[in-house]
Amino acid sequence: MIAVIALAIGVAAGIFLEPTVPLGLQPYLPIAVVAALDAVFGGVRAKLDGIFDDKQFVISFVSNVLVAGLIVYLGDQLGVGGQLSTGVVVVLGVRIFGNVAAIRRHLFRA
Amino acid sequence: MTAPRRDEPTERRDERDEPAERRDEPAARRRDDLLADLFRSPLDPGYAAAAASGKPPPRWGRWGRAVVLAATGFLLAVAYHQAVAEAPSASRARDDLVADVHARQRTTEDLQRRADELRAQVDQARDDALADDDSAARLKQLAAGTGTGRVTGDGAVVRVVDAPPEVDPVTGEAKEENLGIVLDRDLQDITNGLWQSGAEAIAVNGQRLTATSTIRAAGGVILVDFKPVTSPYDVSAIGPGDLAQRFDGSPTAKRFKRYVDSYRMQFSVKKRTNLTLAAAPEPPLRYARPPSPSPSSSGGPR
Repeated sequence: MIAVIALAIGVAAGIFLEPTVPLGLQPYLPIAVVAALDAVFGGVRAKLDGIFDDKQFVISFVSNVLVAGLIVYLGDQLGVGGQLSTGVVVVLGVRIFGNVAAIRRHLFRA
Repeated sequence: MTAPRRDEPTERRDERDEPAERRDEPAARRRDDLLADLFRSPLDPGYAAAAASGKPPPRWGRWGRAVVLAATGFLLAVAYHQAVAEAPSASRARDDLVADVHARQRTTEDLQRRADELRAQVDQARDDALADDDSAARLKQLAAGTGTGRVTGDGAVVRVVDAPPEVDPVTGEAKEENLGIVLDRDLQDITNGLWQSGAEAIAVNGQRLTATSTIRAAGGVILVDFKPVTSPYDVSAIGPGDLAQRFDGSPTAKRFKRYVDSYRMQFSVKKRTNLTLAAAPEPPLRYARPPSPSPSSSGGPR
C-alpha cells in the first residue's frame, strides 16, 4: 500500500512541479527511467517470490541508475554514447522482460 | 568450434533436470555465459541471498522503499513530460514559421496590389497633367524604351531548357555532374545577343529587363533583378520583324546550337507576333524627393 502511495506521490510531484531537465542531463533521463523500471520490476518479482528485501531494493535502484548513467557518460566521452545507451537499454530491457514474465507467471499461473 | 560440441552432452543433461535446478541455485551453475545468465536469471541474486541470510530488515526499510518508488514515479513523470514537451516543439515551431510565411505573403500581395493601384492613379494623373499630346507621347516612348512601361508588339521568343540529368543505365541513378545546365552567363549572352540583333524590349520569364537589370546566379538559382527564375527559360523580345532570323544567325545562337549537340541542352528561337511584355517595377528613387510640405499627410515613404 505504502508503495503505491509513494509511487503516486512521485508521479504527482513530477506532474505538478514540472521541473525543467538541465540540457546536460537530458540524454541520461531515458536511461535512468529504464534503470529505475528494472529495479522496480525486480522488486515486484521478489515480493511475489516472497523474498523482497528493502535494503536490496534501495541499493539496486540507486546502483542501477548510477551505473547506467555512468556508462552512458563514459560512452559520451569516448564518442560511443549512442551505442552504449543502446546496450544499456538492451540489457535492462531483457531483464525487465524476464522479471515481467516471472510476475506474469505468478499472477496468472501462465 | 570444438568447445560447444564437446559441451553438448552436459548441456543436454542440464536441460533435462532444469526445473528443479533453476529454483535452487539460479546463477551458480551457468556463470560461464553472460547472455544466457542474463536471460535465465533476471532477478538480482541479492534478494535470494538476503532472504537466505535471515537478517531482520533495517529500520529505514519501509521509508527507503517509499522514497525509491517516489523517485521512480517522479522520474517517469519527468521523462513523460520531457518527451511530450520535446516532440511537438519542433513541429510547433515549423507550423508557426509556415503561418508566418503565409501571413507575410498575403501582406506582400496586398501591398503589391496597392502599389499597382497607386501606379495606375499616378499614370492617370500624369496623363491629365500633361495637356499637350506631344510630351505625353514622348513620355510613353521613353517608358517603353526604358522598360518601365508595358509594351506590345512582334518579336521573338528564345527558349533554353536545362538538359535532363544523365541517368546511369546500370544503376538508374542520376549522375551528379550535368554540363547541360543553363547558367546565368548563358542568359546574359542570349539577352545581349538579342539587344545586338535589334531588340527594343526583353523579358526573361516575364521579368522585364531595364537598363539597370541584373542576371546573376546565387546558390545554383538564376536571379533576374533578384527574383528567381527557373528552367525552362523564355527570353521574349520585341523588335524588328526579322529579329528571330537575325538572332538565329548570330554567333550566340550558333554557340547554343553546339551546346544542344554536345550537352543535350534544349534551345529554340521562334518568331512570335503580338507579344506583350509587362512593365518592370518602378526603380526606387535615389535623388528625387516627393515635394511634400507636411510629411505626415503625404503617406509617402517615412
